[in-house]
Amino acid sequence: MSEPILELRDLRKRFGALVATDGVSLTLRPGEIHALIGPNGAGKSTLIKQILGEIRPDAGTIRFEGQAIDGLDVPARARLGLARSFQVSSVVPGFSVLQNVVLAVAGASGRIYQFHRPALRDPALVEPAVFHIRHAGLAGREGVLASDLSHGERRKLEIAMALALRPRAFLLDEPMAGMGLEGARQLTAILSDLRAEAPILLVEHDMDAVFALADRISVLVYGRIIATGTVAEIRADPEVRRSYLGEDAP
Amino acid sequence: MTRETLVNLVILAALIGTALVAQALGEGFVVTLATKAAIFALAGVGLNLALGFGGMVSLGHAAFFGIGGYVCAILASHAASGQPVAVLPFTIAGTNEMPAIWPVAMAVSGLAAGLIGALSLRTTGVYFIMVTLAFAQMIYYFAVSWPRYGGDDGLSFYVRNSFPGLNTFDPIQYFAICATLLVLALGVCALILRARFGLALEGARQNPARAQALGIRPYGLRLTAFVLSGMIVGLAGALYADLNRFVSPAMLSWHMSGEIMVFVILGGVGRLCGPVAGAAIYILLEHLLGGVSDYWQVLLGLLLLGIVLFAPGGLVGLIAPRRRHV
Repeated sequence: MSEPILELRDLRKRFGALVATDGVSLTLRPGEIHALIGPNGAGKSTLIKQILGEIRPDAGTIRFEGQAIDGLDVPARARLGLARSFQVSSVVPGFSVLQNVVLAVAGASGRIYQFHRPALRDPALVEPAVFHIRHAGLAGREGVLASDLSHGERRKLEIAMALALRPRAFLLDEPMAGMGLEGARQLTAILSDLRAEAPILLVEHDMDAVFALADRISVLVYGRIIATGTVAEIRADPEVRRSYLGEDAP
Repeated sequence: MTRETLVNLVILAALIGTALVAQALGEGFVVTLATKAAIFALAGVGLNLALGFGGMVSLGHAAFFGIGGYVCAILASHAASGQPVAVLPFTIAGTNEMPAIWPVAMAVSGLAAGLIGALSLRTTGVYFIMVTLAFAQMIYYFAVSWPRYGGDDGLSFYVRNSFPGLNTFDPIQYFAICATLLVLALGVCALILRARFGLALEGARQNPARAQALGIRPYGLRLTAFVLSGMIVGLAGALYADLNRFVSPAMLSWHMSGEIMVFVILGGVGRLCGPVAGAAIYILLEHLLGGVSDYWQVLLGLLLLGIVLFAPGGLVGLIAPRRRHV
């Protein structure tokens, strides 16, 4: 089996008496979509924040492409190729689609302290940006302000920005949230293609999407992973059915 | 050409045109008013870099204005007395040459901005406002209680500093110097705001969490913008000192910080030439209404209230609203 891209080993985080992360170990392998599911309050967000570097775990270690990244902050992890989407769409609202993605390309390049050359006339920024915009399905919308995009288009813009990081792994936090039926269907297709770029750790409540996309699923309950396995294994797992899916799930 | 570019050109042309017409009519006083407007505009352009584009609401920019002014006055007074400014660790002589004074004024205010910014930028929001205010007030009280350079009374120098090839005593020639520096500063701002730095600064202002997720650290960007901002305001302070041939702690007081902020808000926060329009209108009102009543600032207050409530983009925003398509 190939080396995991992302590996959490025995991660622990407590807030006072609340144990939010209770010895979580998890791997993300090349080419897979690994879904992380669990009821509200299971500690999914806390776990994501630890992977991103927003909060520090009390114990345990996170390895990214074989390198321990525990000491790195959010921007440093992003530059290593850890691309995220936010639970609530997060783009630069006053920027056009093109400016948003150009910003992402510039951020990924690590060379933002350039003071003279107009960024929007720099082919080194604009050409990859246009490519990623097209890839994310937003061709022709380059000049539109991000705040004028529909919800679904904003999701696509986030994906274009994530692609611009030349990601080694995606961390997608509820990308289906608030999407209509048609939007969710489109996005499912885009995410399925995305795994060719880099593996995806997908936090999602939409079980249709999870079952359609995931190669493996981990179920988080009260800060612990109670099961990891393929879609069929998770669906059949009695403990998962009791604690999350519900006894009468199909 | 976009509508905002057109508006910017009109604003600059109006300022320069006023000075030229006044000169032709022999109204030297109006030329001096236009010079004051250009200098205040330069200070506003400097603050706008931090406030408008970087999102840093600094109530301490009088510190840089005053430091620039004091650097100018101190160098000039030493040039007049012939005594060096310092002998240790090496001798620093005074000077009355503007091209020598400006870089020193910018360097010292930039250094102060670096120190103040490095500490203040660890806070945000109302705390940032208070910390910048506190630093500026510290420098204010230091100037008040430092007798060597006039303390409370301020420091006069009787001869305006010189610029090679120009007669700086001639109001229109001094205006030309100040207006040129204003246009240069605007050019530099326009350039860096369109470059990667400006894009990242603006992105980090609008959505810092997103910027971080894209590998961008807002702190360094903001500090750089804060230092550049302080340097431009310091240059304006040096010009203001030369305009009056006098500096006093008033240049460092929080009233001054507030005034510079008023220029920016009146004209348009985050609009390149907003502070130029703001400063010009401020000077105009001060001149027209100041003669009528000592309480002219009540009217200024009402105007400011109207702008903030009904035209948050300031005058430039009113005339040239942001386009929906870029």
